[in-house]
Amino acid sequence: MKRETDKVIIAATLILMTIGVVMIYSASYIVADQRFGDGYYFLKKQLLHITLGLLVLIGAMRFPYHYYRPLVYPLLILSTLLLLIPLISGAGVEAGGSRRWVQVGHFVFQPSELAKLSLIIYLAYFFSSKVDKVRTFKVGFLPPIITGGILIGLVLKEPDFGGALFLAAILFFMMFVAGVRLRYVLALVLASMPLLYLMVVRVGYRWNRIIAFLDPWKESEGAGFQVVQSFIAFGSGGLWGRGLGKGGQKLFYLPEAHTDFILSIVGEELGLIGVSLIILLFVLILYGGIRVALEARDLFGAYLATGVVALIGLQALINMGVVTGLLPPKGLPLPFISYGGSSLIVSSAAIGILLNIYYRSREV
Amino acid sequence: MSLPKGLRIRISLSFFLLLLLFSLVFARFIQLQVLESGTLKEIAERQHRKVLFVKPRRGTIYDRKGRELAMSIETFSIYAHPERVKDRGRLARTLSRVLGERYGKVKKALSRKTSFVWIKRELPDRTFKALRGLKEEGIGFVKESKRVYADPPLAPHVIGFAGVDSQGLEGIELFYDSYLRGKGGRLYGYRDARGREILFSNPGREATQGYDLVLTIDSTVQSVAQKALKRAVEEYRARGGFVIVMDPKTGEILAMANEPSFDPNDFSRASPSMWRNRAVTDIFEPGSTFKVFLAAAAMEEGKVKPSSRFYGEKGAYRVADRVFHDYKRFRWLSFTEVLQYSSNIGAIKVGRILGRERLYRYLRVFGFGSRTGIDLPGEAQGILRNGRAWTDVDLASISFGQGVSVTGIQLLTAFSAIANGGYLVRPFVVKRIVAPDGRVVKEVTPYIRRRVISEETARVLSGMLKKVVDEGTGRKASLEGYTVAGKTGTAQKVDHVRGGYLKDRYISSFMGFAPVEDPRISILVVIDEPRGSFYGGDVAAPVFREIAGKILPYLGVDPLYRGRPLRVRGVRRVEPVRASVVRDRKAIPSFIGKGVREVLRQAWDLSLEVKVVGYGRAVSQDPPPGTSFKRGDTVTVFFDEGIEKRTRIGDNVSLNE
Repeated sequence: MKRETDKVIIAATLILMTIGVVMIYSASYIVADQRFGDGYYFLKKQLLHITLGLLVLIGAMRFPYHYYRPLVYPLLILSTLLLLIPLISGAGVEAGGSRRWVQVGHFVFQPSELAKLSLIIYLAYFFSSKVDKVRTFKVGFLPPIITGGILIGLVLKEPDFGGALFLAAILFFMMFVAGVRLRYVLALVLASMPLLYLMVVRVGYRWNRIIAFLDPWKESEGAGFQVVQSFIAFGSGGLWGRGLGKGGQKLFYLPEAHTDFILSIVGEELGLIGVSLIILLFVLILYGGIRVALEARDLFGAYLATGVVALIGLQALINMGVVTGLLPPKGLPLPFISYGGSSLIVSSAAIGILLNIYYRSREV
Repeated sequence: MSLPKGLRIRISLSFFLLLLLFSLVFARFIQLQVLESGTLKEIAERQHRKVLFVKPRRGTIYDRKGRELAMSIETFSIYAHPERVKDRGRLARTLSRVLGERYGKVKKALSRKTSFVWIKRELPDRTFKALRGLKEEGIGFVKESKRVYADPPLAPHVIGFAGVDSQGLEGIELFYDSYLRGKGGRLYGYRDARGREILFSNPGREATQGYDLVLTIDSTVQSVAQKALKRAVEEYRARGGFVIVMDPKTGEILAMANEPSFDPNDFSRASPSMWRNRAVTDIFEPGSTFKVFLAAAAMEEGKVKPSSRFYGEKGAYRVADRVFHDYKRFRWLSFTEVLQYSSNIGAIKVGRILGRERLYRYLRVFGFGSRTGIDLPGEAQGILRNGRAWTDVDLASISFGQGVSVTGIQLLTAFSAIANGGYLVRPFVVKRIVAPDGRVVKEVTPYIRRRVISEETARVLSGMLKKVVDEGTGRKASLEGYTVAGKTGTAQKVDHVRGGYLKDRYISSFMGFAPVEDPRISILVVIDEPRGSFYGGDVAAPVFREIAGKILPYLGVDPLYRGRPLRVRGVRRVEPVRASVVRDRKAIPSFIGKGVREVLRQAWDLSLEVKVVGYGRAVSQDPPPGTSFKRGDTVTVFFDEGIEKRTRIGDNVSLNE
């Protein structure tokens, strides 16, 4: 695998995208047919997303990653502005009571997705250029916390609690890898507890989700409905699954079965075997990413590769945690599999960056 | 370039951290998909599986002529899911206009805070068609089956009724429920979270429609009987009463009427006591009608002859500690006169001659004390104590119909044995059971339980009973143009509370058959507690006359016997058809256009019995061509000559010798 890291990553990515397309078709056909009169609606759009994603992937693969250094701050500013748009103007597209999307021409874009990428690049840039002072409070801890904090705060405002928590996870993950003193990190976590408490307990629907998370069966008709339905999907799939297309949970039992809860449909129709394959593919990508990081020719590349690993890995983990009821529900898609353009394009870009770092490291 | 060692370690460590977390998630997948799979699968099945029950159509009940007496019709009911209705006002306006309901009422229903509300049940067909195209969210239709009965009611006590879920509750609807009901079908499919059926993968089980029944009841006869009974009950302000009309040779019940009556379309409005088919379920002391069976036994045993004489004791006669009375101070009476004037004392003396053992045995043989086996629910068996336990007073009482309880159907079935030449038949009301595809599932053939008395005894007794109508207590049952045999009965009602008999409370009855030479009908009329007059001969006999006088011509029995019977070799009286297992069913051919001789020859070949009416060329036949028949069935063939002169030429011609 040492020589073939790129091929493994590419292969795993493409297989995941393919599985995604098939599962989106299976999960959304009836919903799409009822909502748009076209059962292929989501399938067609996802194929478009994948086309765009692959173009972005190839572009990022070719784009020398050290060119990102000067782009760090412009990217951060762009992300911040994009995050502000839905908050201040009518340009935001509301969905499910939150304004996470920005309409750009024909496309609806989720600014928090770009924020994820910007944060990774920023952190990679920051930690690679401040090597000596990473362990200090003022230089190593404060700036990333503040920059990250602004992004997290804005995402939270949308409100996208899941996205915010995810950004925080990336932040902590990168800080850990960079070697920021753990006590600062822990202190911050403790300090943010009251805030977290306020944010969760004071917001009715989030608290309901927590309650439902703790005992989903009790609330199986209400807040726990989605999770319970997800359990049922996994359980009825069993080891081998009910067969592709033969699941019953997508018949409106599992809301948004083609997006955040697509893995439940995989579990139902393809069984533990299908789920294991997806986990394996993710682990392969992550392993490849780690190899790329370890072999990167400079610190920026190593941090960037680690950031990509965090981006893909943590998102997959959180998504899987949610669909299996290990984590309270929050709107995070499963990279490459879930329906959605923004997530796919950002994930593709991340893979492209990873590959670019890999190819740079192979250059003599 | 080589990365700092610490960084390398932390990067590797971060991977293992992720790996650890993935393992944790994987463990969770195993828990859900392997360990808890069974339970979760069950839950999934329960919520996805949608079983759609398809209700079978309940069979139709026809009378013997094919007229519908009870049938199920499809109706639609409209309901609403109020919270899904968008514009309540507009929908309420539309619905109130089409349904003809008040706007406010519909609006109120649509505004109810429930998830389901009936707007109107059992819509008329036209209303449903008008509403069917309505594309409104939140309303829907449910197909329901509604049982409808003849209106005005025909034989409601015989037919009974079925409840809302199409289950038979009374009468034939109850007795033949398993045939009428059919079998429900099932469709399996998936349903989505909103409860709608999505697709039906397998056909499940098809619904089997209920079987149709063809009754022995004839609507015309039934209607005549009902009206006559009702008139009598009203005239005498009686508590109630019943009438049974039977074909004495076959046991087919042509009519069974009860008062008070009810409308099965609205059965819940009547009290359950009104649903009771008293002719079958209730027992009563028969009184003088019972003397017929005493007479039959005594004659069959050769103990008395019609001319045997008995002293009437001037109307009072002591047996042991009891004095029995007659309504008149009779002196010497012939046995015929004992029946004719219904002398209790004469009957007591005949009973004594016959002896308790023999009388008891004959009564048992006539079917008293046991059910007739009629195919109706709730038949009572009556009360006939063992003859060995009878005291002298018991024997005396039972001789004229006291101290014994019978049902109407028992009484008439026993009486029909005298009419048909001595056979005890099993009465029945369902003639044929037909599957939805037209296949005859069961053809009920007349069943003779046993011979009770000899044909000779029956004939002689019939003659005596004719005298009852011609010159005795049953004069009011006599019919111009027909010979009638019968017997009146006037029984004091038993006081079930205190014992003994109730003063001034009577059950007046008359049973008779006609024509005497070849009885086509036997009728029992029972009037419960008539006021004013109470003699059976005054109260019940006229009812018999009214019914018989109307239905005999209807049944094709001509009132005037003028013509000369056609002499065909081998003419003999038709005996009731014996029960036989139906095999090798054939269809009756068309005799139309053929001459008498040819018809008879063809019938001979088919083992059909032919009743010839008229002469010349055949113009019609009953049953019609194509009807299935079995050996020994009778076909009536009408010929073009002689009919208009109302002359019956042939009389039960049989070539089966």
